[in-house]
Amino acid sequence: MDLAVGDGKIDMKRNWNWSLWIGFFLTLAGFFSYQFFAQFPVTRDFPWANLLLFAVGAIFLLAGLVRAFVRPQLYRGKVFGSIFALLSLFIFGFFAYGVFYVLRQVPASLSAPRIGEKAPAFTLPDQNGKPTALMDLISPNGAILIFYRGHW
Amino acid sequence: MGFTYPLLSDADAGVIRRYDLLHRGAGPKGADIARPAEFLIDSQGIIRWVNSTDNIAVRARPEQVLAAFNERRGD
Repeated sequence: MDLAVGDGKIDMKRNWNWSLWIGFFLTLAGFFSYQFFAQFPVTRDFPWANLLLFAVGAIFLLAGLVRAFVRPQLYRGKVFGSIFALLSLFIFGFFAYGVFYVLRQVPASLSAPRIGEKAPAFTLPDQNGKPTALMDLISPNGAILIFYRGHW
Repeated sequence: MGFTYPLLSDADAGVIRRYDLLHRGAGPKGADIARPAEFLIDSQGIIRWVNSTDNIAVRARPEQVLAAFNERRGD
């Protein structure tokens, strides 16, 4: 390639550094696909699908950056590649903070009922508004009491 | 609504508090809501198995609860 010859000005005919764009896109995909993958226990309990997208994105970004800095006469991307890489780092950091820190901020519940104790009795309205006592729900097989929140 | 199990509403979180499962400010607009937890209760009302997660995204799976039930039904 001899496109970059000239009087030292930036040659607009340098190759597009697609690796950087693909890497940045994969980073965004890794972040925004969390809602999707959180629907399935296998990708929610540990967010490996998101982490895989981030990892592949990082490889592309790195490859793009190497091209941009090692052969700048052939490839674009020194400036926007660096910006993409920085943004990707921030996005990944935010993701990791959410998934590995915020989601684990669960109260200790030290006084929660324990194995061997009697489940504290209560009466609450059911989905039809009918007051329902815990004891009424316990069959000869027992009962499963689930405290949950959100849509899953 | 098609539920085959009772879905109870603890609107003022009274029962959630009594079970010490309140997660302060974790709900929409900073509301106090329950942390996830699952209890297996036997026919006498005694708790036989508890799952209290350390990650709110990780809940007991149905097969886990069934396994806990099957392990203890003979006791």
